[in-house]
Amino acid sequence: MMPLSLDDIVGRLQDLPSLPAVVMELLSSIDQENVDISVLARKVSHDQALTAKTLRLANSSTYGLQVKVTTIQQAIAFLGFQTSRNLITAAAVTGCFSPGQCAGFDDKAFWRHSIATAACARVLARHVRFNQDYAFTAGLMHDIGRLVLVSIYPQRYADVIAWRTAHDGELIEAERAVLGLDHVTAGIALAERWNFSETMRLGIAWHHEPERAGAGFLATIVHVANAIVHALDIAGEDDDLVPPVSTVAWRALGLDEEAYLHVFRETEVQFDEIVAVLMH
Amino acid sequence: MSSAYRHLALADVRPGMVLSDVLLDRQGQVLLPQGAVLTAPIIALLPRHGIEALPVLRHADSGDSSADNDEAAPNCAMLQQRLAHLFRRNCIRNRDGSSDATDDLADSASATLQRYMADYRLGRERAE
Repeated sequence: MMPLSLDDIVGRLQDLPSLPAVVMELLSSIDQENVDISVLARKVSHDQALTAKTLRLANSSTYGLQVKVTTIQQAIAFLGFQTSRNLITAAAVTGCFSPGQCAGFDDKAFWRHSIATAACARVLARHVRFNQDYAFTAGLMHDIGRLVLVSIYPQRYADVIAWRTAHDGELIEAERAVLGLDHVTAGIALAERWNFSETMRLGIAWHHEPERAGAGFLATIVHVANAIVHALDIAGEDDDLVPPVSTVAWRALGLDEEAYLHVFRETEVQFDEIVAVLMH
Repeated sequence: MSSAYRHLALADVRPGMVLSDVLLDRQGQVLLPQGAVLTAPIIALLPRHGIEALPVLRHADSGDSSADNDEAAPNCAMLQQRLAHLFRRNCIRNRDGSSDATDDLADSASATLQRYMADYRLGRERAE
């Protein structure tokens, strides 16, 4: 079979499900401060499913609110605009792709891994004083290209999974061998279409190669969070594999063992909560 | 993870235990969030804030701590085996647990993560 090219992917992106218009608007406003919050909040409120999910997420103990918020406006007042925007995005993205398109691809396991990586990246970001909202969203989205490939090429992606089982490698190696490109390339294409900010795109683009010049600190955080989540065995897959950890990235975070033990524990606790909200 | 918790006197709280509820000081300010892992330095600071007892999570899968010692050894071996499997791309241990790594490899970030994870899992089992 012909290897895929980036053009093949880009040409088919329009066939993918799209995010609600208000979420696209939120994503493109990510680096702007002077957004009219009340207008956006009202628009989000029109989508009841999205609103309900966002509020349950805001009310989870992860965010430590002392009162229960009942409207998007309240969530923004208590959590701030940036955090609320990330919650809305998380709620929208996890419900966007329809499951069960590709034999052998476990959608639930995919989201469990993505949510755990988001939780872990957020905890890591707090320890190194990086923007926690960026870390959470980048963690959630880091493998989103996989859903792009699964949605556009379900049959060929089934071959990818078979190749991976036969060779006991990482999924990214199987993607390159079978398709000729990987989920990183597909993820960047989608990130551009969805108006992700430059910071977010870099985080997705380099999470497998955080030591590359210009990769940015977000890639470092997502890279280490991804490895931690595999090591925590959260997906519960027999043949799970911890990808090699970049020593450059590990040193850049500069955390000691005590900090990591915190990170492991907090990741597990937060994961349980967030997964309960986003996957039901 | 069970919802059950127990209220422990500060003297009985051990590092690695997890707060089951948000912890407030006398003024009602949040000292620690729910789910915080208690470490020795944190526990040492609590008397200064007037904390004498606190609620910690009790894990559904743990028995009484005194009875667990006999089972610790096989659990430990199983855990090491699972970790070695997960880290098979950067393996630093043979099946029997001995190390055949060069210094270089043993110093790598992957090896460090594997070691921390083993400490985390085993430390938690001891704490329960």
